[in-house]
Amino acid sequence: MGSPAGGSPFSSVLKRPMEPKPENYSTIHLRLTVESDRLSLFSSLLGQGFTLKVRTGCSVRELLCRQLGVRADYVDHRIQTIFLDGKTVDDVDTAVIRQESTLALSAAMPGLAGATLRRGGAYAAMRRQISHQNTAGHNSVADGVVMLKLFNLVALELGPGFLKQGVWIRGKHMENFFKKVPDYFWPGCRAAEIDGTPLTVEEIGRLEWRHRQVFLKLEVKESG
Amino acid sequence: MDKLLRINMGMDGGPKASEEPLGDYAGLAGRGMTSAIIAKEVPPLCHPLGKNNKLVIAPGLLSGSHAAQSGRVSVGCKSPLTGGIKEANSGGQGAQVLARLGYAAIVLEGKPGDDTLYKIVINKDGVDITPDNSLKMMGNYDLIDTIREAYGDKVACISIGPAGEMKMAAASVAFTDVEQRPTRHAGRGGVGAVMGSKGVKVIVLDDTGMSARSPKDPEKFKAANKAFVQGLKKHPITGEGLPSFGTNILTNVINEAGALPTHNFQTGRFDGAGNISGETQSEIMKARGGMVAHGCHKGCVIRCSGIYNDKDGNFVTKRPEYETVWAHGGNCGIDDMDAIAELDRLDDDYGLDTIEMGAAIGVAMEGGVAKFGDAEAAINLLKEVGKGSPLGRIIGNGAAVTGKVFGVERVPVVKGQALPAYDPRSVQGMGVTYATTTMGADHTAGYAVTANVLNVGGSVDPLNPEGQVELSRNLQIATAAIDATGMCLFIAFAILDQPETFEALVDMIGAFTGQDLTADDVTELGKTILTFERDFNSRAGFTQKDDRLPDFFKTEPLPPHNVTFDVKDEDLDRVYNW
Repeated sequence: MGSPAGGSPFSSVLKRPMEPKPENYSTIHLRLTVESDRLSLFSSLLGQGFTLKVRTGCSVRELLCRQLGVRADYVDHRIQTIFLDGKTVDDVDTAVIRQESTLALSAAMPGLAGATLRRGGAYAAMRRQISHQNTAGHNSVADGVVMLKLFNLVALELGPGFLKQGVWIRGKHMENFFKKVPDYFWPGCRAAEIDGTPLTVEEIGRLEWRHRQVFLKLEVKESG
Repeated sequence: MDKLLRINMGMDGGPKASEEPLGDYAGLAGRGMTSAIIAKEVPPLCHPLGKNNKLVIAPGLLSGSHAAQSGRVSVGCKSPLTGGIKEANSGGQGAQVLARLGYAAIVLEGKPGDDTLYKIVINKDGVDITPDNSLKMMGNYDLIDTIREAYGDKVACISIGPAGEMKMAAASVAFTDVEQRPTRHAGRGGVGAVMGSKGVKVIVLDDTGMSARSPKDPEKFKAANKAFVQGLKKHPITGEGLPSFGTNILTNVINEAGALPTHNFQTGRFDGAGNISGETQSEIMKARGGMVAHGCHKGCVIRCSGIYNDKDGNFVTKRPEYETVWAHGGNCGIDDMDAIAELDRLDDDYGLDTIEMGAAIGVAMEGGVAKFGDAEAAINLLKEVGKGSPLGRIIGNGAAVTGKVFGVERVPVVKGQALPAYDPRSVQGMGVTYATTTMGADHTAGYAVTANVLNVGGSVDPLNPEGQVELSRNLQIATAAIDATGMCLFIAFAILDQPETFEALVDMIGAFTGQDLTADDVTELGKTILTFERDFNSRAGFTQKDDRLPDFFKTEPLPPHNVTFDVKDEDLDRVYNW
């Protein structure tokens, strides 16, 4: 158990292009320059989910470690609660990512429910009805899209890496984020561009996002 | 902590206090003490609000010492909500101060002949019981302000709000926290109504001049406590997750699992979960100058509580816990964190169980009293409870009563007590505990403590699908024992995962008591407590038919996984076979 032994939870810099071509949506590219102490505010957004272009038909471990560059020890020790399409994953080597799967990642959780949902935990039998069934052996490797949700400590630790590379966010979640984000976010948001055109942070909050897919990319500056 | 304080509220000439040695109760504490006294001294068929019921307030085994996390206090009685035995426990300062005053329990007995309200002050010089009708129908916050003016800011208080005075079955007993706010509650089962029936508004505990309780082996105790604290701090749940996000860290995860009861248990996912998650809550608290990591009692190193301020930076309430956020949030379709914080504040002020209130309002919404998602309506319903209007008294008596009055079929209760924040169709092992615990539906009755580490009842294969009954049994046994120590249940994760932290806990208890504790001892203690409780309930008229979930859990598939509760009745009946 425990947090990653210092440094980045990624074994390598993310190189995979994060821009799938969402079909049937109006798209918009939003680039924000934010101070580092505002990064945690994006945790709620990352918990709503973002989409990535990946190779599907692989195991959860292969996706996280080989494609997304997350350190193996981080996957083994830090990510203790995993849901694939809402089902609790016990074995990251046999649970297979499908086209348009939703993968949710969390640190270990408190409570009996938390212990019950923990992967391979002592109380896994107590939620067998929602346990993910092994799907190894039925793989069909292909280009595809997955939705990734990051919760709690995992969002704080993995989130910045994804946000710096850029992620696709549903417009209604982006709109909700700007509506609900605490006021102190805005002074720490130093610059903004939409589709390459600069605009003021005040203008961001007034835009209509709901019916779009937003490619959000952050540039992070030290606070102060 | 070698004496009992009995206060007979029904004596001719007024209430009378007496001290006595522990006698047969020697060695018991917390839930062990409360359940032993209730089982032995309270007639199981008595009326819960009558003179023959008793209210027992007992600190844990290590309370009042320097042991970390030892500040839980148990409150026991025959429950007006369930009709069975009840132990509700709480954090706050009460356990530590009561233990340092030397009392293993306060037992409130009898019943005043009129509606006079009393204030009890306990300090090193003794016990003073005075009538004080000026406190009538005072909310807990105003009450504590009044007490502070009279007795200073160092005393700890045990109190009831208007709900307790009105003897509502969802009334709680409040314990003041480190800042002397009435934010910690023994919430479940209507223990506040029993305190109200005794005519006691507040117990003021002043431990001025008293010392911390001393261990038998101070050096060993100190070393074990240090190792225990280190273990808690290095574990990702107790050292990082809970201090960062509180218990509400669970909202996103339980929602993703499809186990977050939403709209009165109609679905397992709530669209607005992200707006009320622990992650969102913490950012709101930070932005408003609140406190994210905060202990509810001195000696807490986990610090899962916090301070929730309004937009202007003024204190509203402590960090609403996961159960509260669920009950008033997803269960009622409300995704406004400020509204949930206001509801939490009102619950604390009126002295109400947040779980029971959220469940009752959810049932009322299903019954057409208000619409799901209408936060203003929920707040107004709770204010009706505080006023004691006819509608308020219905809701204040819990989900079961509310369901009957409004003709609702989907009423999520077991033994009359509302289910907490985990749908048993998704997490069926919890459903086994909800159904069979002596307490009525209770998420803490079979906590994820060290059942397998202790080998309580034999080790169970975690991936064996038939193991749910055995796991629930073992967890209920182990939890009953932990509840007797006064340790916060959140230590469970560190002692579950880190053998050296578990060893430190065992060493700490051994060094404090002078007796080596074995796994067999823990098992026996847990079984003894459960046996007391089962026996009481049996004599109160409970049968196997009471160890069941409501029918809709077996017949209504829960989206998104469309699962039903399918543990067989005969398996539920095996839980207490040991």
